[in-house]
Amino acid sequence: MMNSAVCLLERAAEKFGGRTAFEDGTLSVSFAELRRLSRQLAAGLVSKTRTGNLYPVIVYLPKSVKSIISFMGIMYAASPYVPIDYAIPLSRLEKTVENLDPSAIITDAAGAENLKKINITTDVLLFDDLEAHGADGKMLEHTLNSVCDLDPAYIMYTSGSTGTPKGVTVSHRGVIDYTEWVIDTFPITGESIIGMQSAFHFDNSVFDMFAALYMGAKTVIIPEVLFMYPEKLTEYLADEKISVIFWVPTVMISVANSGALEKIPLPDLKLILFAGEVMPNTQLNIWRKYLPQCMYVNMYGPTESTDIATYYVVDREYGNHETLPIGIPCANMKALILNDNDELCKVGEQGELCICGSGIAMGYWNAPDISDKVFVQNPLNKYYHERIYRTGDLVYKNGEGNIIFIGRADSQIKLRGNRIELGDIEAAAAAVDGVKSVCALFDEAKQEIVLFTETEQEINARKFKMTLQSYIPKYMVPSRIITMEKFPHTPSGKIDRVGLRKTYIEGE
Amino acid sequence: MEEIKDTLRAFISEKFEIGDDPDFTDDVHLFNEGFVDSFGAVEIIHFIEQTYNIQITQKDITLYPMNTVEEIAEVVDSKLS
Repeated sequence: MMNSAVCLLERAAEKFGGRTAFEDGTLSVSFAELRRLSRQLAAGLVSKTRTGNLYPVIVYLPKSVKSIISFMGIMYAASPYVPIDYAIPLSRLEKTVENLDPSAIITDAAGAENLKKINITTDVLLFDDLEAHGADGKMLEHTLNSVCDLDPAYIMYTSGSTGTPKGVTVSHRGVIDYTEWVIDTFPITGESIIGMQSAFHFDNSVFDMFAALYMGAKTVIIPEVLFMYPEKLTEYLADEKISVIFWVPTVMISVANSGALEKIPLPDLKLILFAGEVMPNTQLNIWRKYLPQCMYVNMYGPTESTDIATYYVVDREYGNHETLPIGIPCANMKALILNDNDELCKVGEQGELCICGSGIAMGYWNAPDISDKVFVQNPLNKYYHERIYRTGDLVYKNGEGNIIFIGRADSQIKLRGNRIELGDIEAAAAAVDGVKSVCALFDEAKQEIVLFTETEQEINARKFKMTLQSYIPKYMVPSRIITMEKFPHTPSGKIDRVGLRKTYIEGE
Repeated sequence: MEEIKDTLRAFISEKFEIGDDPDFTDDVHLFNEGFVDSFGAVEIIHFIEQTYNIQITQKDITLYPMNTVEEIAEVVDSKLS
């Protein structure tokens, strides 16, 4: 049986050996090589630091095959892997390290230089040094045997409403079950070529890595720069004969709008999955028009659900006035829709989507208080402990039994596939010199974040954005900055968010 | 090469409403420093493809950095020669 997600690599190396597993433009590894390199890295890790389920290891590397070797190596060493954006602002990385208390950080020479600028005591290990070790097979076998499938496989950090990122902790069982569901549900084979868009610190990457291991498919890490150029990206899909993609709708929208699908034939593309935000039907229909041979799947899942919790195979044309369902739960997952009284909603009744099953996360790392608020006992079950995750997403079930997504119950937003807490942005902006008060709002129509700042002096918007970029990731930096001497307030003394929205966002 | 840079500077400055910001130099990172948003990248490529009647392929984009006026001009220059 598989007690660790890395058993999928053990199996792949045996079954698919010399076939190409992952490629990034510089490095290409077969399944057997990936196993060998990962085990070498694991041996290096075990000799240099503490490993085990309570000793996570950060991977701070550019998006590359080396990252995948690191993740697998860390799992061989029985520790959870923690992928960190290589472009993360250092102050945010510092906060992450403080929360995580990792046993080591794996990085390259440039990353190690960056890490000297922040105040951390964690061991910094260079990828190349770790690879200099020979692997002791017996020791590694013993280490891998010490893992149980309820130990964490990875921890992924996501935006938190108070400015501190939350570490979503996911078990090996979650990863294995999710992967088996993917393979049972979709036509992925050993001949498939997966075009990877997701960054490793986003949960969609779990699909690209583990589905490929399971079926012996090849995964090509698409060069990040191409996502700025939708036409060239489409050209790349054709050149590389990509047959499977799992992308965020933002990228699919920009490709559809660029007109590239009309010009560039993609006969190899067979399976198109998307998740992370709402996919508009207008653009989906453009894809369907030019690539009718493809299977299209709308997927839904917070990071807390090991990537995906529900899915909907698009089986007909959807008009612009209709909502594309998020469908039904994946295998081994359940979806409950609860109303304000924690009772099950009837068909058509709106409520909060709650999920349970083997895929739900074990909570937020080292943050019991916030974990306890959303990972709770199933209120419908008074007989035994059954943990559910309250997503905060408002949904209803339609007559066909499909779940329809409506929106959020709080101030979390989705922008170009990124999950953002507006409070996270406000916390960063409030810390900038000269700023007295802030308020971040989301302009749904323009798909942009607007930041209101109360300052005594007029500020240079571009420079202010640059300052913010040193605290929060680039995708969180507001597009518009509006400065005012004094904010309007409600009678109770709070910032009048509704008023600001009416005047500056809806009033235009 | 200088001529290409001048043409590029004029286009970018007007298109992205930069004006005469002294930070807008030939080697400033247009995207990281907030002069051009990520959507603007496509417009720059369209502009050079049309103005100079050249084709920028996905391989060019992957192999050569095109983040500054200097870098973009170099790619244009190499395509023309």
